[in-house]
Amino acid sequence: MYTQFFGNYLLANGYVTQEQLFSAMRRQADKHIKLGTIAMHAGYMTASEVDTVYIRQTHEDRKFGELAIEEGFLSNEQTIELLRLQVPDFLGLGQVFLDDGILTNTEFENILADYRSQNELVDLDMLIEEPEAITKLFENFLIVAETPITHNGHMFTELLFNNFVRFVGEDYTPITVEELTEFPAECCVKQEIKGNYSIVTYLAMDEETAIAFASRYAEENFEAYDEYVQASLEDFLNLHNGLFIVNVSNDSSTELSIGTPEHVEEPLLLFDHVTYHFPILYTFGTVHFLIEAVKLDD
Amino acid sequence: MNINELTILICDDSILARKQIKDILSTLGTPVFAEATDGQGAVDKYKEIKPDLVFLDIVMPKKDGNAAIQEIMEFDPDATIIIASSVGTQSQLKSAIEAGARDFVQKPLDKNQVLTIVNNFLEGR
Repeated sequence: MYTQFFGNYLLANGYVTQEQLFSAMRRQADKHIKLGTIAMHAGYMTASEVDTVYIRQTHEDRKFGELAIEEGFLSNEQTIELLRLQVPDFLGLGQVFLDDGILTNTEFENILADYRSQNELVDLDMLIEEPEAITKLFENFLIVAETPITHNGHMFTELLFNNFVRFVGEDYTPITVEELTEFPAECCVKQEIKGNYSIVTYLAMDEETAIAFASRYAEENFEAYDEYVQASLEDFLNLHNGLFIVNVSNDSSTELSIGTPEHVEEPLLLFDHVTYHFPILYTFGTVHFLIEAVKLDD
Repeated sequence: MNINELTILICDDSILARKQIKDILSTLGTPVFAEATDGQGAVDKYKEIKPDLVFLDIVMPKKDGNAAIQEIMEFDPDATIIIASSVGTQSQLKSAIEAGARDFVQKPLDKNQVLTIVNNFLEGR
């Protein structure tokens, strides 16, 4: 989970290009994460120690763990621990870049340290076990975007990223949030949330992306932009917003309501209120999620 | 009761949601399906065809699901209405049940949950 934010970090800091990221995201699921990468992530070995073992492996047909113990880089216990360690998914993404030669071990070691410090992750295992760490990572993403966020806004966006994973797929990277006053709306649907927390939500994307998005969401094989594709976009928005108001009701006993999802006809959206744009880079295209803040009292 | 003898009215403004419910129910047999795309259409269609079972969304144009349930129940107190909605707050659930809904299915639809509800209906439970 939350490999998405690591992808955003790599892209935003110029370590990889969008094409390299997409290519890696498509392949990461099957990626075997090497023991050297896990050892760096656990802080048991440095990049240069890992490189030393890899160099030895090029002329000795022996396992990484054996050589690392022989060099005195790892103890027996540490090796066993690393082999049993459950690793966060984003290491798979990193392994693709390492194997493709896009990143060196030294670069990756620095990236891990910097990413860890930016997100105040004492231990990267926190990403597996501790929801607080994920919340921190998430907040950090929004702080980087210089976006003030309310409690409900936080719940909304965290649920949104989860729902993208749950209903469309996890092969996406969220790009830094921006504030907008207008937006050219292609294949766009919108839905209002009303009550003490009032926002208008928009989902927009180009036709080709809409067909791919709808095919995944509805688990159908759509070939053209038709009423089913449009209904899928509306359905996703309606489902997400519906789940959000259920969560708000359970969290604070505040009752919000939602309007019916609508297709947007205007080619250019002009916003009356502050509007945040969340570009979501999927491997099949870019999905634009917009939140127009009408009233944000929590 | 046999599913093939049933007329089932599906009321949802989403063509996709209507298709998904029909696809799930069609795994049990071949009932007659009727559809409505808004709350008023649901009431009108109910009065016209008197279906055995109704699946109804809450958030719909023209008239919302709860208002539609009330009108249908006034017309036919024995109507069997199942709410299928993404808006499953406790108060929505309470309003729907008070208005006369038999059951509530939270979207995304769980196929097994829908089939259990229909099977219970067929067995007269």
